[in-house]
Amino acid sequence: MQFKYSKPKTIEELSMLKSNYNAKLLAGGTDLMVKLRAKSCKPEIIIDTKGLGKNEIKFENEKVIIPLNTTYSDLLKNKKFKEKFPMLVDIIKKIGSPQIRNRATPIGNICNASPAGDFLLATYLYHGYAYIKPTNKKIKISQLIDGPGKIKLKPEEFIYSIELKERIGYEYYYEKVGKRNAMNISIISLGIVLKKKQNIIEEIKIAYGSVGPTIIRFEDLEKSVIGKEITRDLFDWLGEQYTKRINPITDVRATAEYRKKMVKNLLIKAFYNLNKTFQEG
Amino acid sequence: MKIRFKLNNKDIEYDVEEYKRALDFLRDDMRMTSVKEGCGEGECGACTIILNGKNVNSCMILAVELDGQEVWTLEGLNEIGDTSIQESYIEKGAIQCGFCTPGFIMSTKVLLDNNPDPDDNEIKEALEGNLCRCTGYTKIIEAVKLASTKLAEKNTTVADKRGEKNAV
Repeated sequence: MQFKYSKPKTIEELSMLKSNYNAKLLAGGTDLMVKLRAKSCKPEIIIDTKGLGKNEIKFENEKVIIPLNTTYSDLLKNKKFKEKFPMLVDIIKKIGSPQIRNRATPIGNICNASPAGDFLLATYLYHGYAYIKPTNKKIKISQLIDGPGKIKLKPEEFIYSIELKERIGYEYYYEKVGKRNAMNISIISLGIVLKKKQNIIEEIKIAYGSVGPTIIRFEDLEKSVIGKEITRDLFDWLGEQYTKRINPITDVRATAEYRKKMVKNLLIKAFYNLNKTFQEG
Repeated sequence: MKIRFKLNNKDIEYDVEEYKRALDFLRDDMRMTSVKEGCGEGECGACTIILNGKNVNSCMILAVELDGQEVWTLEGLNEIGDTSIQESYIEKGAIQCGFCTPGFIMSTKVLLDNNPDPDDNEIKEALEGNLCRCTGYTKIIEAVKLASTKLAEKNTTVADKRGEKNAV
């Protein structure tokens, strides 16, 4: 691997370099370095985003703003973040290892646009938006993703920060199926946030990872169960709907058949986890 | 590209290739051969170094990224006599072939610096990014606990000595 390295200090300089060359942005480097080594990407220039510095994680209007170059470790160390986003803390703890979390960044995870992206999945459940520089656009993250590894940004554009909305009064469920705890790339993952009154669904968001070209969410199915009672039958029905619509592939981690079965089974597991009172009663 | 950084508390200035990994730079140019290449893709932790107080995989960092930063390798800990962890690994037999050991020691160092008295789960979580194919981890966990006790004893003796001085 041979390339030039640059660490611009301004947004303009970074943007110019990115649009003028076959460039790759480097923040934590935990994915990029693997790709460079495998020669699956051959940039002319590596642009280190760390030259732009690292702003503080901000909380405003029930939202968190996570700036460029913020690492997973930075998030795990942030008391307010831990208090307000417990599901994300669970997800982050299952990403990589301490060594990876000390370098890897949520924005990097989004830009890789992997269907197995753990943090990316979370942004689908937490109303995630990206702030783009230098064009100053604000785009919903799910709308930015254009397939595996593909992100809809112009050559001069890059993600400068992201915003996630707090889910106050929601319960959540997250499961990542894999072969070991650390360094796991999911075979299939499921994240759910649920707001209920007594046993009636007020709002539910369901996102699957690693079963399609990107994170999968069907808002019409989510809406169809609003106002319904949380029962095993309902989740069985939901599981069947998702199984019908989702067409996973076979790869090195698992077969399509296994993934398809797990689409429904995870949802049933989610039912028992989200509905512990039902289990106890 | 010229970089300036601190390696084991020494100021280093070096002209390094822009595409070189920190792992290769530390081994080949700096002769820090405690830094091992295992998988080369962040899975095994054999190349773990301490960068600004955090354990990281040096195979996933470019040498040029070290510019302006502070790096510690096992050699540095030996130079300053910070060997309690290493001794504990030897005493508990937490070493067989030894290839993974420098990486484990660096991760243990970061753990104990931040959490001097970790429980089993905290140790397991902190060492999750380091693989050992010989020992089966039980002895490694014992070694971390022993190191924690040793460091606590060291700190109290230092404190006692300070106390004595103050008394005089």
